[in-house]
Amino acid sequence: MYNRIRKLPIFTHSHRILIGVFMLMAIVALAACGSDDPTAVPAQPTAVPASSSTDTSGPTTTTATTPSTAELHGGSPDIFLKGFEDAAADSSFRATSKFAAAAKPLAAGEKLKVGFIFVGSQKDLGYNQAAAEGSQYLEKAFPDIEVLRSENIPETADVQAVEEQMIRDGATIIFATSYGYSGPTKAIIEKHPDVMFLHMGDVESFENYSSFFGNIWQLEYAAGQLAGHTSKTGKLGFIAAFPIPQTLLNVNAFHLGAQSVNPDIKTTFVLTSSWCDPAKQATAVQAMVEAGVDVLTQHQDCTKTIVEAAERAGIYVSGYHQDASPAAPNAWLTGAAWNWGPVYSEIVAEIRQGTYKSSVMFQGLDAGWVKLSPFGSFLSDEVKQSILDTVEKLRSGNFQPFTGPITDQDGVIQIADGVVPTDAQLQGTGYLLQGITGRTN
Amino acid sequence: MTTPISLNQARGVAITLTDRPIVRSLMAVAFAFIVFGIFIAIIGRDPFEVYAKMFEGTLGSKVGLSEVGVRMIPFVLTALAASIPARVGLINVGGEGQLYIGAWAATGVALYVDFPTIWLMLPAMAFAGFLGGAVWAGFAIALRHFRNVNEVISTLLSNYVAILFVNVFVFGAWKNPTGFGYPYTANFEVESILPAIADTRLHFGLVLPVIGIIATYLFLSRTRWGANMRAVGGNPDAARRRGIPVLRYLIIAMLVGGGLAGLAGMSEVSGIQHHLRPGISNSLGFMGFLASWMANHNPVAIIGTCFLIAVIVVGGDVLQFSGNLPSAAMLILIGLVLFSILGFRRFERKTE
Amino acid sequence: MSDVWLVLGGTLTGAVGPGISVLYATYGELITERAGRINLGIEGSMLMGACFGFIATVETGSVTVGIFAGMIGGGALSLILAYLVIYRNTNQLATGFALTLFGAGITAYAGRSYVDSTIGGLNPISIPFLSEIPKLGSALFEQDILAYTAYALGPLLFWGLHYTRTGLSLKAVGESISVAYAAGRNPYVIQIAAIAIGGALAGLGGAQLSLGFTHTWSEGMTVGRGFVAVGLVIFAMWSPLRAMVGAFLFGGAIGLQLQLQTVGAPVSPFILDMLPYLIIIFVMALWSRASARAMPEGLKGVLKATT
Repeated sequence: MYNRIRKLPIFTHSHRILIGVFMLMAIVALAACGSDDPTAVPAQPTAVPASSSTDTSGPTTTTATTPSTAELHGGSPDIFLKGFEDAAADSSFRATSKFAAAAKPLAAGEKLKVGFIFVGSQKDLGYNQAAAEGSQYLEKAFPDIEVLRSENIPETADVQAVEEQMIRDGATIIFATSYGYSGPTKAIIEKHPDVMFLHMGDVESFENYSSFFGNIWQLEYAAGQLAGHTSKTGKLGFIAAFPIPQTLLNVNAFHLGAQSVNPDIKTTFVLTSSWCDPAKQATAVQAMVEAGVDVLTQHQDCTKTIVEAAERAGIYVSGYHQDASPAAPNAWLTGAAWNWGPVYSEIVAEIRQGTYKSSVMFQGLDAGWVKLSPFGSFLSDEVKQSILDTVEKLRSGNFQPFTGPITDQDGVIQIADGVVPTDAQLQGTGYLLQGITGRTN
Repeated sequence: MTTPISLNQARGVAITLTDRPIVRSLMAVAFAFIVFGIFIAIIGRDPFEVYAKMFEGTLGSKVGLSEVGVRMIPFVLTALAASIPARVGLINVGGEGQLYIGAWAATGVALYVDFPTIWLMLPAMAFAGFLGGAVWAGFAIALRHFRNVNEVISTLLSNYVAILFVNVFVFGAWKNPTGFGYPYTANFEVESILPAIADTRLHFGLVLPVIGIIATYLFLSRTRWGANMRAVGGNPDAARRRGIPVLRYLIIAMLVGGGLAGLAGMSEVSGIQHHLRPGISNSLGFMGFLASWMANHNPVAIIGTCFLIAVIVVGGDVLQFSGNLPSAAMLILIGLVLFSILGFRRFERKTE
Repeated sequence: MSDVWLVLGGTLTGAVGPGISVLYATYGELITERAGRINLGIEGSMLMGACFGFIATVETGSVTVGIFAGMIGGGALSLILAYLVIYRNTNQLATGFALTLFGAGITAYAGRSYVDSTIGGLNPISIPFLSEIPKLGSALFEQDILAYTAYALGPLLFWGLHYTRTGLSLKAVGESISVAYAAGRNPYVIQIAAIAIGGALAGLGGAQLSLGFTHTWSEGMTVGRGFVAVGLVIFAMWSPLRAMVGAFLFGGAIGLQLQLQTVGAPVSPFILDMLPYLIIIFVMALWSRASARAMPEGLKGVLKATT
């Protein structure tokens, strides 16, 4: 019986040929359809920097890059440098000498290799893309730098493997761009004393392991203020992935900003437990709308879904990581975005000059590390101006919205009356403010 | 004087040669690499250069080889976690979840038990990891025995539950009080860390898969229990008639499988991460499951398939920056290799 | 009290929103399993549908083309499984897993340059009168066209499986290949067709996810929903009508947990997140005996659960 079934017409040779042809067509179609990764093409330096010579051994304090102010979006090179000077003045920084490999003069035609490791896709329209664009900026700014990129690297032994391989390939500076890379990276720094590891978002530093992160909460505060002006229901929503400190700080700042214009404002904080799950994000938007929220913002790795879902639901949305205003012309208020390119360029320039010091650095508007996304076209000039004033106040450093008393959800005073918290304290936020509905665990 | 062999004889030799599983597997891998090479050529890269870089980055250097070894530790353990239950006809797709629970249990010991020496601490953690994985797998076998729930689905879905379960602790009670609110547990004391071997990145977690493979091999091929297991896997009814306690074998196989996956979790937290955090595994459990099927659940062949997967995974990381291939390309290659190894296997006649 | 209504509403809205794509995948898997095969590559098929549906919509500007491209993508991927398991007699579970990996790779590669594309997509159509029912109306009857076809497909499949010749042949193949052969059918052609149609339906589910529900393509956006669909088929005991219940329950659990968070429920969101998976396992355990009776004979080789 079985043998007879086996002789059925489907098991003939002509069918096998057909299958082969089908497979071949599929491969060709796939190759044709997936166009090349644009970042894979070596970037041609469009604007050759004035002073990015290979032997910047002297302690020159000029920026090695001359990015246009348009690219900087509000952080001019001078302001930008200030951040580094402030940081250098801080006593917690140590002088370093061991990671000098990157500072060595290069032979003609040789390139300095800088590695970048991303936890997600470089094309996620979010956190990783912002970092990847920063790396492209770095490549453009220095014609003698070659950037090595690896994406979708999980925060496990994989990141160590990629770091080891990049070092084997000749990289002397490595940017580990996800907070979860800290543990695995710190485990191998001792083995490579002449390589500089730069981590984004850690709170400690070693000889050749430095950490930095942007005070993007400043812009969340400004965006929150705009949300407070815009909201009619007095309910704001914040869709986050995981309750990590950076997220909690952002939602607190957003709430605080809104509270400054509307003391009765309520913020709802919802977690999706995934850095990128568009379906859950869209469901969260629906849940927010049901709950009467009319201004949304988010902390996710991929940001497009929430912005577009808000547009379709007819509520307002404030962006994060990247400018996504074209996706939501009627809903987009403004957004907090990164400006990593100049930061990376500056750090690399300092390392090459031998002036960089291993440190934990948090900088915000004053150094141009973060930038405000464009405003929605429907906003009145009056409101826009008031937000710009707030941004200016935050930039000047005279205004710290987290000045105590700051009371958390349970009524516990987290920052005492009159106390001005440090950046490092804020980056370790583990609570939600009064007026926010949600949980931290 | 040589007698000329006839065409038929030559064909016979060729057929017996290609009937050997190892030859067929090598043919399959070669086939997959050729197909992927065509794909690389179509997107405008030189396949020879890409492959050269890939092998140079994995097998051609000490760094690469040591990375392949590091990656193989959890692969082999999770592959064994799938293969031992498969011997008795159980399908364990829950390696990922068992790994997480094993890591969780081992971390619990590291955080709350205070042994003075590494000689007590690490075995205690390994035991806890094994126990954790075994208990998690135990739920599936209990559901199967008492409620007739098939283990494929229950282990598959319990993976997601296990990951969330770890999150509950890492974001909650176990969060490091001095860790600035990041979702990590406190760093392990030096007694709870698997030390590195010489100056490579390999850690002493390597001992676990080595013992696992040898023990499984000896157990399956040299003992009566191993033979009984095969009988249970082949035909449980016949085994039962021969007086083999079928249920006991099923339970033990599943628990040991889950335990081995738990050990993989222990070796990841103790050897690599040095604390527990979300996302300690990137589909290690699923990869192990596939490696086990590719090896036809043979513990020795598992070494080969895990090695192959580790080479592709590590090579893929290298190719991202040295060959400008996106990470997705490596998933395509792994998929192709799996298809062809499964597809090239000699046709087993199924009886109805 | 208002909170209770709110959570109820959120559950209902969530049931349909993220539920529809899972429902299509469940239908697809159901057809495949009724023919005696199990396809764990349904997750990959969903990704293919989501990705190629989105790409086609961006390139042609037509959602209709996108929907068909999604179905073709999902179906094409499952044809690989059909070839391997039927021609090469490989293990279905391992092949299915490999297929999922392969599909994830292909889609991540092909969809790379479309992540930031915006599309018009499928937009909700309100059904007059019905959509005005409080809570229920807006949840069920303000959906995109693919949601309505999914409502209709359940009863249609039920009728098709039990009352048409094609459906009966399909079930016959699932019960016994030999008997179906003796009855004058070509069982393998039927199985291949069932696997392909199953993949195409999963692709349709993926397309609904990317074109209808989220208007987005991003790498690995199904996040395990295909595997959930495999569980739901057993939950549904191979009946399309119960599949609707299961998929909406799964979606509802997602909606429920998100809405509970908005009212500040004192439970960890991670525990709430476990709900969908625990519910499926729990119900499977509860109805296990009926489920064993309903299982197609042909599946018992893979899905046996008696010792």
